[in-house]
Amino acid sequence: MAGQSDPHQSLFSAEEVEFIAEDETVEIIPNLRMDALNFICGDFGPFFPQIATQVPLWLAVALKKRGKCTIRPPQWMSVEKLTQVLEAERDSQRMFEQLPFHYVEISRLLFDHARDDIPDVYMARSLIEDIRDVRFHKVETNLETLTERAFALKINNLSAMEVNIVRPFVGRALQAFYKHDSLELIPDQERVSDRRPQVANNATRRHLRR
Amino acid sequence: MAKFYDMDDIITDEEVVSVVFEKAACGVGIDPSSETDSVEVGSKVELPFWLAHELQLRQAVSMNVPTCFNQKTRLEIQADSACVDLRSRCPFFYEFGCKIAPLVGVRTIGPLLLSAFKSRYKEVLTKAHTAAFPAASKHLTILTKEETNLYEAAQSSMTAFKRWRMGGPRFQRASVLGRKRKSTD
Repeated sequence: MAGQSDPHQSLFSAEEVEFIAEDETVEIIPNLRMDALNFICGDFGPFFPQIATQVPLWLAVALKKRGKCTIRPPQWMSVEKLTQVLEAERDSQRMFEQLPFHYVEISRLLFDHARDDIPDVYMARSLIEDIRDVRFHKVETNLETLTERAFALKINNLSAMEVNIVRPFVGRALQAFYKHDSLELIPDQERVSDRRPQVANNATRRHLRR
Repeated sequence: MAKFYDMDDIITDEEVVSVVFEKAACGVGIDPSSETDSVEVGSKVELPFWLAHELQLRQAVSMNVPTCFNQKTRLEIQADSACVDLRSRCPFFYEFGCKIAPLVGVRTIGPLLLSAFKSRYKEVLTKAHTAAFPAASKHLTILTKEETNLYEAAQSSMTAFKRWRMGGPRFQRASVLGRKRKSTD
């Protein structure tokens, strides 16, 4: 496979994530008459000219390349919606806006193959780039909070591509933190300050039970 | 034995440790300063870690704390860990620290490693995803091997993503295609 990932670096390469994203559905308006298509993932069609229908992205791109349909860009890709999202992203330091899980890949595929179907294509494109940059910067500031006490990090609404970029780094960093915090290296005396509140908690719990 | 074939682990074992002999050893040329081929009791010799470890298991030597974990380095790390050149002191600072901490019986090595990594990690994080050229950073020369691995993991995933975003050839042509068939006659 052409875009196969290096097994030591990360679980998926960008091309593989794009491949997964191609299963998301989009709305197309076909200009041909065709019977329904029966796939393992479901049945799509039948297709009639000028009647909108939902198909997977890969099928939409394939039809588009042959000039058999126009793709209707999804709701979230309109300029107004993207401007709103960008402003919200800039306003809050911690929260991530809700966007489709594969927004980076879907937008790239549509910008590559269906430029003429998207209104304000340049504007939409630069807005998505900006959103991505703002979000990635926020991911980095979130990662700064990783310490030996934080064994996990919860970030809501992170998209597939963003996770994929930071995955190798975060995995290794967490592993290193875990290793250096292990019991053999940090003797118990050093942890006394951390243990004490726990003991206090147990005592109160017992007390309550009586 | 999980790390038996790990090259970094083997190199870590080569780090030099200074030991004091508690038993006399005959017929070995491991002490360059002695005139005969034997080692006196109480002589101080620098040995690679793997040998020192084995000898200590047989209670023939006692290990001293290596220079990269002494008081001076400790104070430097406490002062400003991000700027300390750990690579020149010990390229596998963390791995070596983990190996030697239980053997020399100094309880402060573990916390020292953790605090050093914690503060240096942030520096690696902020530089790794943003640096334009992977090799151009002066910052890289002071990182230990473990930190360099971390840095490169972030760097390569970021460049892979940028390459994908820029596009380029979407399909790679299989090498068997496009080759002209040789005429047989």
